Amino acid sequence: MRITQSMLTNNMLSNLSSSYEKMSKLQEQVSSQKKFSKPSDNPVAAMMGMGYRTNLNQIGQYQSNIAEATNWIDSTDDAIGEAVSAMQRIRELTVQGSNGTYEGEQLKTITEEIKQLKEHLITLGDTQIGGKYIFNGQNTNVRPSSVKDGNGNTVYGTGDINLEVFSGISLKINTDGSNTFGDALASGGSIDQTIDALENGGDVSGMLEGLDATINTFLGMQAQVGARQNRIELMTDRLKQQEVFATEILSKNEDVDIEKAIMDLTTQESVHSAALSIGAKIMQPSLLDFLR
Amino acid sequence: MISTFMGLETAKRGLSTSQGALYTTGNNVANANTLGYSRQRVNLIQTSGFPTVGLNSPRVAGQIGTGVAAETVQRIRDSFLDAQYRTQSNKIGYYGAMSESLTKMEGVMNEPKDSGLAATMEKFWNSLQGLTANTENSGAREVVASTGVMVADTLNYYYNSLTSVQTDISNQINVKANEINTLISSIDQLNQQISKVEPHGYIPNDLYDKRDVLVDNLSQLVSIKVNNVIPTDYGRASDVATGLYNIELMQEDGSSFAPPINLVSVNQTGMVGTSKVEVSHDKTTGMVDGLKFGSRTLTDYKFSGELSGLIKSFGYKKADGTIGGAYPDMLKKLDNMTTAFVNEFNAIHKQGYALGDDNTSTLNFFELEPGKSAAQSIKVNGEIVKNPTKIAAGGKSGGASGDNENAKLLADLKKKAFSEYSTKDQNSDELTGSFDTYYSGIIGKLGVDSQSAQKNLSNSVVLAASVNQNRESVSSVSLDEEMTDMIKFQQAYNASARMMTMMDEMLDKIINGMGTVGR
Repeated sequence: MRITQSMLTNNMLSNLSSSYEKMSKLQEQVSSQKKFSKPSDNPVAAMMGMGYRTNLNQIGQYQSNIAEATNWIDSTDDAIGEAVSAMQRIRELTVQGSNGTYEGEQLKTITEEIKQLKEHLITLGDTQIGGKYIFNGQNTNVRPSSVKDGNGNTVYGTGDINLEVFSGISLKINTDGSNTFGDALASGGSIDQTIDALENGGDVSGMLEGLDATINTFLGMQAQVGARQNRIELMTDRLKQQEVFATEILSKNEDVDIEKAIMDLTTQESVHSAALSIGAKIMQPSLLDFLR
Repeated sequence: MISTFMGLETAKRGLSTSQGALYTTGNNVANANTLGYSRQRVNLIQTSGFPTVGLNSPRVAGQIGTGVAAETVQRIRDSFLDAQYRTQSNKIGYYGAMSESLTKMEGVMNEPKDSGLAATMEKFWNSLQGLTANTENSGAREVVASTGVMVADTLNYYYNSLTSVQTDISNQINVKANEINTLISSIDQLNQQISKVEPHGYIPNDLYDKRDVLVDNLSQLVSIKVNNVIPTDYGRASDVATGLYNIELMQEDGSSFAPPINLVSVNQTGMVGTSKVEVSHDKTTGMVDGLKFGSRTLTDYKFSGELSGLIKSFGYKKADGTIGGAYPDMLKKLDNMTTAFVNEFNAIHKQGYALGDDNTSTLNFFELEPGKSAAQSIKVNGEIVKNPTKIAAGGKSGGASGDNENAKLLADLKKKAFSEYSTKDQNSDELTGSFDTYYSGIIGKLGVDSQSAQKNLSNSVVLAASVNQNRESVSSVSLDEEMTDMIKFQQAYNASARMMTMMDEMLDKIINGMGTVGR
């Protein structure tokens, strides 16, 4: 093949520009830390990347939903736990009051304490987190004890509040107030009967059975909440694992292997300077330099 | 007898021919960097020997050479390589236009990035999930309304940016059409000039070179085929005359249109004329609806080159009345997707109850302007932006503060396939998968299209470079070679001059040294 100066120059130019192009691509990779910047750089990876991002984002959202659910359920558990202690104290006091050895004044003190404990239970039924009443069904902005029926009983709101904690899995985060506190706080319920028996000299020890049933209601609820707590923990673990996995996949899909990128860049740099120096050597001499 | 001065004549021919060859060498050196210049060669021939055959021819031994003459000055060029180069540069034009417009589209869509539609949609879905957790919280409602506005803004931005790039492409189409017309008339003019020189037996190498550069440029804009025509009645044209160029518009597959479309027509009798291109646009849609070449109108754009690449990006009306093209396609997809999403979202929204409301909501969350593109006109209902308590998050009458049932349905729309939409009968058939997967599919396809245009472009660039290398190998000037030639012709010139001196001495002998016997 016949080779001319202009061919050498053209070749040199096109080699240099392709070398610059490679360098700029590598430089972009190093500075952005991403393997590609446009879908056309790697359409499959870009599409997968969008899917992985959605995935990761969803996991993040479920995690924050779970945090909210945990908040509710832990508060519920605390409130019920306190209610159980209060009920146990009432039971203790009732046992004391049934001894028959107490004077009228002492019985009055016991009765007073039980009344206070009942007030406490009402407060527990009004438990709030972040301004929301957690035992009032969907009426989260209404204080349950402020709504009474004709008999003076608290009317708890109804309705489940569900949160999605995993793809397609919803978890009920609230606990029915009337099933939990209704029994204990009902006028004429076990506590009221006990107070009545203590004040009016009724069969105090006969009240224990009713109180036990109320305690059992609370314990039953606590068991339910505990089961939900377990479920949430399981979900939290699973989401954590998934988050790690999804982050890793996303990173593998689009993050640059920095050592490789820098190595490539360095190699390309030396290729480039070699191209430049060889070009400079080839372009210079012509027959002219040797003719007189 | 041979003439006394024949040797002088022979030496003189040698001198002037070497001089001519040296001038040509000088011209080659001078034009070493001229675009489109093909090196020239002086074709040397021997002049006819003496004596020629005839009744009165002198009886001498054999024929004696009478020297050299420059027969023609010819450019060294391979028209086969020209054709190859033009095929590739045509592809460069087409894929160059395609890849540029698709890369711009990628730039507008800006995926996968944190500011693209996908990321904005994620924020919107998250805000709806946030609403399910905090229905009574006005902050959570504000977030839903404002991320809804972001979604609408992003779609508006996509629409506006895509259409403004489209307008740019439309301007480019006009510029390119003008360029094509200018090239056609320049080639036509060169043809005319050449037709006035060639019949005299001259070879207008400079005009040939100019014309070939113009044809190279034209080949990038439209696919063409060049036919050399030497008219039958053409004076004393030299054997190496190139003739006139007839330039035909070719289909993508390299075949002729039926009947053929000639951009520059030449027939056996000489120049016929040119067919300029005229781009016409549809009145209502603004899309390209035909290309007029002279008296012919093409409605299928089955040729290649930059013009075709631009038209296929910008959008064109097909014979069946539908609109094709990369930008209209993308806008249509965005539109279909937006319309389906807005209809379903509103339908779900209207099933729900606003905070404290006993009746289902009457408000559309998103609003579209009838008669306008959905992506262009989507916005969040002003009443909802003003008062986010009107977002219908509740699923039961009364709109209890903790009722998040409808909010959940709204958030679930993220995973719902278009085929499961309650409003699906209003959807375009093309919609598949969920909003998210459909959108990432669009981006994936854009990526593949853009990548393949870029790959085709770089392949054509490489091929064109290699063909051009071959072309240069044949036609470009090598300074070393010219220097060698220079020495060669210089020495030949010197030697002819020396011959002349020798002849002089010989004549001196005859004139001054002879006839002096006995003096």
